[in-house]
Amino acid sequence: MQQIKTVAPSVRKSLMNNWMLQIIIVVILAVIPFITGRPTQNMLILIFCMSVFAMSYDILLGYTGVISFGHAMFFGIGAYGISIYLANAKATMGNILLATLIALAVSMIISVFIGFLSLRVKNTYYAMITLAFAQVGVILAEKARHITNGYDGMTFRVSSVLMNKMLFYYIALGFLVLSFIFMWKFTTSPTGRVLVAIRENEQRAKFIGFNTLRYKIISTVVAGAMASLAGSMYAIHMRFVSTSVLGVAKTIDALLATVIGGMGNLYGAILGTGIVNFAGEYLSKLAKVHPIFERWYIIFGLLYILIVLFAPQGVIGLIKKITNKIAAKSVKR
Amino acid sequence: MDIFVNLTIAGLSTGMMYYLLSSGLSLIYGLMGVLNFAHGSVFMYGAYAGVLVFGLTGSFTFGIIAAIVVGAIVGYTMERLVISRVYGQHLAQILLTTGLMLVLNELIKIPFGSNILPAFQPEALQSSWQIGEIVIVKYRIFLIIIGLVVATILNAVMAKTKLGMTVRAGVQNPEMVQVLGINIKKVFSFVFILGSALSALGGILMAPALGAINPEIGLMYQMTGFMVVVIGGMGSLTGTLFSSLLVGLASSYTAYVYPDAATAVIVIVMIVVLLIKPSGLFGKGAE
Amino acid sequence: MGEPIIQTRGLTINFGGQTAVDHVTLDILPKTFTSIIGPNGAGKTTFFNLISGLLKPSEGNVIFKGQDITAMPSEARVKLGMGRCFQITNVFPQLTALENVRLAVQAKSGVNSIFKHYLKYSELQDRAMEMLKKVNLSDKANSLALNLAHGDKRKLEIAIVLALEPEVLLLDEPTAGMSLEEVPIILDLLAKIKKEGQHTIMLVEHKMDMVLSLSDEIVVLFNGGLLEKGNPEDIMKNEQVQKAYLGGMS
Repeated sequence: MQQIKTVAPSVRKSLMNNWMLQIIIVVILAVIPFITGRPTQNMLILIFCMSVFAMSYDILLGYTGVISFGHAMFFGIGAYGISIYLANAKATMGNILLATLIALAVSMIISVFIGFLSLRVKNTYYAMITLAFAQVGVILAEKARHITNGYDGMTFRVSSVLMNKMLFYYIALGFLVLSFIFMWKFTTSPTGRVLVAIRENEQRAKFIGFNTLRYKIISTVVAGAMASLAGSMYAIHMRFVSTSVLGVAKTIDALLATVIGGMGNLYGAILGTGIVNFAGEYLSKLAKVHPIFERWYIIFGLLYILIVLFAPQGVIGLIKKITNKIAAKSVKR
Repeated sequence: MDIFVNLTIAGLSTGMMYYLLSSGLSLIYGLMGVLNFAHGSVFMYGAYAGVLVFGLTGSFTFGIIAAIVVGAIVGYTMERLVISRVYGQHLAQILLTTGLMLVLNELIKIPFGSNILPAFQPEALQSSWQIGEIVIVKYRIFLIIIGLVVATILNAVMAKTKLGMTVRAGVQNPEMVQVLGINIKKVFSFVFILGSALSALGGILMAPALGAINPEIGLMYQMTGFMVVVIGGMGSLTGTLFSSLLVGLASSYTAYVYPDAATAVIVIVMIVVLLIKPSGLFGKGAE
Repeated sequence: MGEPIIQTRGLTINFGGQTAVDHVTLDILPKTFTSIIGPNGAGKTTFFNLISGLLKPSEGNVIFKGQDITAMPSEARVKLGMGRCFQITNVFPQLTALENVRLAVQAKSGVNSIFKHYLKYSELQDRAMEMLKKVNLSDKANSLALNLAHGDKRKLEIAIVLALEPEVLLLDEPTAGMSLEEVPIILDLLAKIKKEGQHTIMLVEHKMDMVLSLSDEIVVLFNGGLLEKGNPEDIMKNEQVQKAYLGGMS
């Protein structure tokens, strides 16, 4: 029994440290609107929304070990839920909430269906089949031009309260924090640990009696639901939605962010989203200097390949390694 | 009647191109368990290399050779440089082949940009035959013939040669091949080169039928390729051929009745197959 | 002893024209220790795969506690009380030893909430620790499974399976790939489990001294078929067995 008592406090302590760090980060983010301009604020709101999307992707990729190429479909359902509803109804808070919830329900139903269809065969099938479904989603949205205005996109109004970008910044930050807490609770729950077990060794998980298909579907539903919410927030922020929100490129953005930031710990997805967005912005500005930078995506592609091969824990993993070394050195002294 | 014949010919010829693309996907997955997300990029590279060389030399044959060579080189390089490091790790494989896809799709834009590049049919095949009311496009027939020839050769290689038999045994039971003491590395490289070359061949042959190519065709056709192998059954060449033709015909007929639904019909066929026989029509039993 | 706990009826499986297990009919009585021996390729592991549900037979049935489980998926068989160790160590590499076992305890307990922190279920932690103690691994509780020595990984896998409180334990070569010094530890552990008398144990093993000292009954498989079955003394005396076994081994 003694061992257990030494386990729990040490875990609790590291959690405490993390909470401290998180509170500091949130405080910094809360101060930022007072010291920066509109563009940075808008960029950060976007990063908050996309971070939730990337974290939801991490639940699949980093926690369960399942790759999706159609995760943007759920993001898109969330976004189109808002845009289609608000283009046809009054932009009251009640309607916005209703639209978000309808989109959420649709996303959850579709994720159960796709999960059941593909995951009972093999995890790799999920990658292929989500790609196909996402493509159908794009085609549907393109063909429903009279509603969505296709690739050119649709604009709509949101309630005037949400037009206040200062206020919306804090709403988006709150959304990020709450989403993080929800997903963190989910991933550290007994069910969340089964997902990690499946990632580590699905056969063994089956042979200790877990119905792994059921757990994998739970994982896709939670991930799909959070992606849908992220999409709704994104739509409210942009007041513009086009078919690009459904495309494979959107999913790959989340994939890049999660892998570069670090899989399987949620923080990595947030950090990665920040890196990908800021670096992307910077590099595409360089394109004005030299046209070769128009192909800045290659840099991400190569960085991503190197990380998968040589630093599978991503940037977060590298930071941890460095801080551990520093800590070890200071202990020696 | 004439429409039906034309749609059938169009469907079969497109189906044959799906076969060239998918047979490599299916073999690579069946033997090595690698789901190659860069396979469509090789298809696209084949198309670019072929169109370019055809434009420069005026010989479609040279274009085809160029496509095959480029496909083989790209495939071999990917396999040796990146994928061979992660055999047995399914997650890392998909992650890495996706990375390769991103890089390859962007690299092609450096010399060619992201706009379309027109692709022409060789002069000898530009005309068509007229039999009564029915107009038959020569190039379509050419595609069907090439597809049949490749399928026949591929089947003969798999049935008659030692290498082919090893590949088949490996698809049936991957562990067994390792035990047999065969140099599995060479077999893996061979299958990767073969699959990539076939994919690139599909690319150059498909280009004139499309009229123009762009960097996006890689992912577009790869998606169809995935559905073909899911329907046909991973690792089965017969299944891939059957399913390619089925998908080609289904999308050809649907495209005539209601063009927007072509992809949706393939997806529906795939859903039905997955519900009834998850391992695919010709796949080995449930895992 | 009562009714057999596991019965196989004409159990057969073919792989592409080859019959790996050939009409094996066998009764295993509860709380007995049965070893399955035979030369390499005799179908021992495949037989285990059929019983545990990793493979579906081409013909025949598996009956567990009077219930036909031939079509049942492996996770449901685990729930019914069947635990299995694999020939190639099968643990969760990136998790601690304690967490490996804790997951098994969790599976057994049916806890599956999605919002409470897993460490708050201290009864699961305690039980997992108990199991680690049982296999003498409690000092390594916080080591990642992948960092454990080979012998410790095998012990960990046994702890995982014991945590399921299975009525039947299927052990596939628990000493495979072990150094000579490590073998007696596993032998002692198995003797201890046998002495407790809680489980029906089926063992696939090549080390004959181990098989002879532990088994109540020995089953000999040869070319996929059941060659002989009996108590250790009879099996050792049996000429046919000696011929097949030794012949196949050389």
